[in-house]
Amino acid sequence: MPEREGFGFTFTAMASPCEIRLAGVALAEAERLAHAAIAEVRRIEAKYSRYRPDSVLSQINAAAGHMGDRIAVDDETAQLLNFAANLSAMSDGLFDCTSGVLRRAWDFKVARLPDQATLDALLPLVGWKHVVWDGQRIALTRSGMELDFGGFGKEYAVDRAATLLEASGVRHGLINLGGDVRAVGPQLDGSAWQIGIREPRDPGSASNDHNRCFASLPLIHGAIATSGDYERFIEVDGKRYCHILNPKTGWPVSHWRSVSVVGTVCVLAGALSTIAMLKGADAEDFLNSEDVSYLLNNSDGKVVRHDA
Amino acid sequence: MVATSRAPAYRPKRATTTEPRKRVGAITLAALALPGVTLNVAHADSAPEDGVVSAKLQVYKDSQPNLDRIKVIAPSLHIVAPIAGVWSVEASVVQDNISGASPRWHTSVTGASHMEDRRVASDVKLTRFFERAAVGVRFSYSDEHDYRSNALALDGRYSSADNNTTWMAGIGASHDLINPVNQVVENERKNVVEGMIGVTQALSKNDLAQFNLTHVRGRGYFNDPYKLVDQRPRDKNQTIGLLRWNHFVEGNGTTVRSSYRFYSDSFGVQAHTVQLEWVVPLSDRFMLTPSTRYYTQRQARFYFNPVYDPEIGEPYPAGYSTNPPTYYSADARLSSYGAFTLGGKFEWRIDKLWSVDLKYELYQQRSSWRLGGGGSPGLLPFRAQFAQIGISRRF
Repeated sequence: MPEREGFGFTFTAMASPCEIRLAGVALAEAERLAHAAIAEVRRIEAKYSRYRPDSVLSQINAAAGHMGDRIAVDDETAQLLNFAANLSAMSDGLFDCTSGVLRRAWDFKVARLPDQATLDALLPLVGWKHVVWDGQRIALTRSGMELDFGGFGKEYAVDRAATLLEASGVRHGLINLGGDVRAVGPQLDGSAWQIGIREPRDPGSASNDHNRCFASLPLIHGAIATSGDYERFIEVDGKRYCHILNPKTGWPVSHWRSVSVVGTVCVLAGALSTIAMLKGADAEDFLNSEDVSYLLNNSDGKVVRHDA
Repeated sequence: MVATSRAPAYRPKRATTTEPRKRVGAITLAALALPGVTLNVAHADSAPEDGVVSAKLQVYKDSQPNLDRIKVIAPSLHIVAPIAGVWSVEASVVQDNISGASPRWHTSVTGASHMEDRRVASDVKLTRFFERAAVGVRFSYSDEHDYRSNALALDGRYSSADNNTTWMAGIGASHDLINPVNQVVENERKNVVEGMIGVTQALSKNDLAQFNLTHVRGRGYFNDPYKLVDQRPRDKNQTIGLLRWNHFVEGNGTTVRSSYRFYSDSFGVQAHTVQLEWVVPLSDRFMLTPSTRYYTQRQARFYFNPVYDPEIGEPYPAGYSTNPPTYYSADARLSSYGAFTLGGKFEWRIDKLWSVDLKYELYQQRSSWRLGGGGSPGLLPFRAQFAQIGISRRF
């Protein structure tokens, strides 16, 4: 392995291909550090997985509709819920961590659209306004509601792993959890990491390996996250329906093929890119108000780049 | 990852106070509030974010067997305030109210004569913070009825790009005016200049080491005017080396702070101090810090033991009547001795704004405790107690 590249550790977490790259440390030390960072990623995955019955989210979801049952949460969960509440308020309800129930209507494995009646039945279960959250205890007021940290859980894991590495003395590292990327310092020679932004219409997109990129963003500190219409989608009558759903209508967004945002931390970049996808034509104004750099790929493949 | 032509690297805005005019988006603030998403390192070059005002009351009392001596009660006020994110101003004022018996050994007034004195000292420091550096200027003023002192000091520090190393340097000067009540001298002066260099190095994420070297050059009146037999050189140069090591114990969250200090001056005094402190957080709100210190000193060349002149007797040193030495002093602070200090500090963080601390130290000094023996004979053991109560509020 060339010295400049350092050591790469690949693994799968949160149903995504992941890599931690460390340079400037000996192999044994790199292995120790990578294992610690991976352990932190797995801790967050286990704690907030919807699929594990013992996870915090499963407990909250299981109590949905039982108004007497307010679930007390630990401090970390409380801070994530505060973040979720803030995102909902600051995005005018577009970013909503209760919108996961819409998956019951959308199956991206079959090229068939859900009927409007099914969506209409689910929409009353979507909305942070139906959540009672007092800062310590939470209740989902409607039976069938579901909380899902998918909108920022992976990004949070990226940041936590990055902080852990930085606190351990890492000065040249890169964390990539399924395209959510954070740099811990530059490459060993001091140059920026070049983060390729995947071409949304590259046919190889599904495979994740050797994707064609339409741009690349250099990164030394901070994070890049991309939301796109190519991760999960179906095509019906030549029109693409992607997995990013508007919580108010239940229908997918279509204004942008992808939105990439550079942020101080990955939870920020991730939230902004998702909200920008949902904002549609208002995405540029919204991102400008947050004073971040971004790269937009619109429905015609035209690229908008803004350096804050 | 694809390499392309070089473009300027993205450096996301950091939400720090060093960029006061940078607008930070609401979602950015919400994201940065999440636990552990960024590393919060206390960098040497960051300006304080909060102001702190604290009031303290210190009580000092010393004694020798069957004799209570000096008692000092000192209320003080301290304030630190950030200004515009890149400046900080620090000010303090302390008043020492001293009462009790004057020192017993070799004093012009023997026994337990009563004394009262009051000293007011204040200082102001202004610091300017830069991206990875800080420079400060301090002015101090101290006044008691027989002694007035003015001092000015400049210091600067600079941190490496990775913040693992911080270099420090400082210079200072003071001017003292001495007018003892017994009028043995009038308008005597003492001028001191000093320089300091130092470096702080993070050895690992849990270990921090520091080394400081200070050199002090003083000219003027160093005698104790209240001691009848006290004649010291008019120049005094001091060299002080300080080595510190702080270790964070990951297993239990405590911190061990250790230090070694070397002192040497042109009077011939040489001293070594080792200190150990153990910072134990008992909970989120309570912290206990037991500490211990050992000090050992070699006497000044002109210190004389209580062996007096056969002709004229106490308090004159032997040979005083026939062939008087140029310099002589019987000040016990210049003798050979060793001393132990045991103490503890208890801190209580009441809430985000208020905190209270209590501190107590017991000091005991004996000739026989000098490292390797050879302590000055004929001196009684000396004991001192120090207690402090403080209350602070952030604003």
